[in-house]
Amino acid sequence: MQPILSVHNLNKYYGNQVGCKNMNLTLYPGEVVGVVGESGSGKTTFINSISGNLIPDSGKILIETGNEKINFLEISESLKRLLIRTELAFVHQNPRDGLRLDVSAGGNISERLMSIGQRNYGNIRQTIFKWLDKVEIDKSRVDDFPRTFSGGMLQRLQIAKNLVTSPKIIFMDEPTGGLDVSVQAKILDLLRKLVRELNLSVVIVSHDLAVIRLLADKIIVMKNGEAVESGLCDQVLDDPQHSYTQLLVSSVLQV
Amino acid sequence: MNNVLKFKNKKNTFAAQDEIYNFAYLDENTKRMIRRALIKALCIPGYQVPFSSREMPMPYGWGTGGVQVTSSCLTTDDVIKVIDQGADDTTNAVSIRNFFKKTANIETTEKTSQASIIQTRHRIPEEKLKEKQILVYQVPIPEPLAFLEPRYQETKKMHALSEYGIMHVKLYEDITKNGHIETAYAYPVKTNDRYIMDPSPIPKFDNPKMNNNPAIQLFGAGREQRIYAIPPYTEVTSLDFEDYPFDPSKAPHKCSICGSNESFLDEIIIDDEGNRSFICSDTNYCNQRMENN
Repeated sequence: MQPILSVHNLNKYYGNQVGCKNMNLTLYPGEVVGVVGESGSGKTTFINSISGNLIPDSGKILIETGNEKINFLEISESLKRLLIRTELAFVHQNPRDGLRLDVSAGGNISERLMSIGQRNYGNIRQTIFKWLDKVEIDKSRVDDFPRTFSGGMLQRLQIAKNLVTSPKIIFMDEPTGGLDVSVQAKILDLLRKLVRELNLSVVIVSHDLAVIRLLADKIIVMKNGEAVESGLCDQVLDDPQHSYTQLLVSSVLQV
Repeated sequence: MNNVLKFKNKKNTFAAQDEIYNFAYLDENTKRMIRRALIKALCIPGYQVPFSSREMPMPYGWGTGGVQVTSSCLTTDDVIKVIDQGADDTTNAVSIRNFFKKTANIETTEKTSQASIIQTRHRIPEEKLKEKQILVYQVPIPEPLAFLEPRYQETKKMHALSEYGIMHVKLYEDITKNGHIETAYAYPVKTNDRYIMDPSPIPKFDNPKMNNNPAIQLFGAGREQRIYAIPPYTEVTSLDFEDYPFDPSKAPHKCSICGSNESFLDEIIIDDEGNRSFICSDTNYCNQRMENN
């Protein structure tokens, strides 16, 4: 099987400051890769660099699109933006960053559909209802504005907005950050269901080991902009080799 | 500067009433700059060409863009008509007509068919335009994406890459809120199957008239410093959905003066009881129908 996304020796500096350094990643179809590390370890820089939000200084990002491999850093901007709104999806930590707050929930979900040329209101409406159902938002809220939604609902709406065009690769930056524990559990449940049901390939960034353990197949542990350890999720978390990973694992609160 | 004046078209050196003005107010260098922008705009239908808009002796919002475009197109042979919401006799129309009378000393008319340049605020004349006529629109906000995407850099990119999905989000919202597309003026169009364009705040009733029009259509936005254009016989389509097609609706009434069933109507409250009357917004069209009857 071919990896759907592979990243080689990716570097991103902010002046002299290291954003992330020598990062590698291989993502196979249907796989979830988790990136963990403390605040400032370069997780977000890394995910932004591989998803097109930031331009990395050097490295290689290969994306498999059906029949050809695309070098994400060398393609034209128009193709890049087309990929970003069709094949790729980005779920922000703060759903307000990924949604249009002055457009109704349905309008938010429909944007990607219309940007790829769907022009039938009835069909679009049906797809919206299908996705509201999938992310467990009541259908009666379809015409409400996102600002009337709770934090958890906003996050589910953002997920629906991103998944509506069936993207191949989904990037998530702390998708459950800032949510209370029960809502977090619900979102995680939903994400796990969607990942299995739709065979999604996901790169997920989180500082929360529990989130990663629940969702991810593979894990990358970052510190000071570098990957200090990587491997199968259970293996790394159950038998951490690097001292930083050991610290991370041992500092999880046991209730 | 002197060079330019020396080579200036002989015809354009005229005896104005008030010789302190250059022909049609603007200096020749400025007109040349605007003509360049106009030619570029005509070559790329619907594309917004930046130009360095001048201070005009009227406030922004009164048609400074349109006046600069008209001024750059005028020759001494031209006959100009100015309309404001279809009418020849409203403040904006009268003052701009007088402005060109004074600064260019050219013939003016109220008859659509006799005008070679028509400057308009928010209407297209009812009478069909012909080849060799120029219609100049006054545009307040040239960017159709402005209300959806406030970042100008981003809208430029969206135009360049034809990323117009968001435009339909607006129409989608209209339908969900009102059951139909509520946008009634400044209804977005696609020009020559490429650029999405704001037709300026004309009623959507006028949108079909832009399509395949034999006249040249020029758009000037003074404050926003943009010029765009539709060359003659260019395809202009109004955006819509397959199941909610574009509808150039009009008030279901007749003009109470000329009885026209076809023209765009203004609604007027005629007494303290709130009684209404509908009359043609195009005064010249209405008058001519009365004369002919």
